[in-house]
Amino acid sequence: MLSPKDSPLGKLLRQYVCVRITRMDTIDIGLFEHDRNNTVYFYLLNADEQIYMRYGGRDATSPDAYLNLESLTLAAAKGLELHAKRPPVTARPTPDFPKNYSLLVERTFARNQCVECHLIGDYQNLHRQQDGTLDKREHLFRSPDLKTIGITLDVPKGLVVKEAAGAAAEAGMKAGDRIAQWEGTKVWTFGDVQHRYNETPRTAMQTKLTVERGGAMVDLAIALPLRWWLMDTKFRQSSVEPRFFFDDRPLSGEEKKAMGLPADGFASMVKYVSSTAKTMELHGLEVGDVITAVDGKRVDRDAHTATLYLVLRKAPGDGATLEVMRGGKKIDMLLKTMQMSFRK
Amino acid sequence: MRLLLLVLGLAAMAMGQDDDIVWLDNYAEAVKTAQATGKPIFLEFRCEP
Repeated sequence: MLSPKDSPLGKLLRQYVCVRITRMDTIDIGLFEHDRNNTVYFYLLNADEQIYMRYGGRDATSPDAYLNLESLTLAAAKGLELHAKRPPVTARPTPDFPKNYSLLVERTFARNQCVECHLIGDYQNLHRQQDGTLDKREHLFRSPDLKTIGITLDVPKGLVVKEAAGAAAEAGMKAGDRIAQWEGTKVWTFGDVQHRYNETPRTAMQTKLTVERGGAMVDLAIALPLRWWLMDTKFRQSSVEPRFFFDDRPLSGEEKKAMGLPADGFASMVKYVSSTAKTMELHGLEVGDVITAVDGKRVDRDAHTATLYLVLRKAPGDGATLEVMRGGKKIDMLLKTMQMSFRK
Repeated sequence: MRLLLLVLGLAAMAMGQDDDIVWLDNYAEAVKTAQATGKPIFLEFRCEP
């Protein structure tokens, strides 16, 4: 059994002021800015609210993919080391509080409901949607997955690379490297890395990092693949808007060629239709249908499937006209989208 | 995830009983304590819906 008094982590934590926050009501979410779909997230900081590092983060497959007691212990030790050195003071982000979001106030505070972390993210996006600043590539597809660029970490060892493949390998990354900087900023944990990676503009073509290899620092420029920011957002529950209750897969190059469709188009085959679509009379899609156009468009710079096109370009409640191929016949079909009921 | 939360929870419960370690639940109080003691802050955000 873990004995905090005797465990490495316990000994380290006794040198900290430990605080656990489960209600976000009065927290400066401008300072403590992270993906609100994390179940647990840590900050190591000083009394002047200078953040030494973050610990946390996740991927689409699991909320604890990057959480580990060994790496948390490493982080706690590093935090003490940084605290002793007193790093230079950095500018504090603009303060922001949950009560700044009127819809969040109306639907949680005013009802004496818990301001759940994920609701903060959801309502921030709703406000962005209303004021026209929502960029779904950034705000919906946040916390992009390192594996998309070929980086698999040895999680208990913090930022030590377990396997480098794809774009990372092509840039020269090797197993055993330790990621030391991301775009010129020192990083100590996966939480730091994911936070910096998420700040990459979605139109960027490359990202620069520095790894420690055999005691030397090596700079790497990783070419970002198309749609590097894309990730499975099913775990975000209520964040994905609009909803249309079907799923699809992109057509292969051969399939597009055979149907005379543009190679860079977003034509896709329906692979799943929820019964909700029929119940709510949202559309009449069937498994095996091929969506060849939406509102007459076949190509979009960001989308490789019809569902991604709809997520990126449509607002909740919008309608669309789908061009569908079924059994060799072309059908024009109306589609209605939905908004999560809790937001109505 | 549940296992990790359980382990962290057990650790926290045990630490709560330790004279040396106190888990605060108020951020402002944590900052004041850090100012007074010179210790760094170990801040945990946990979702407990």
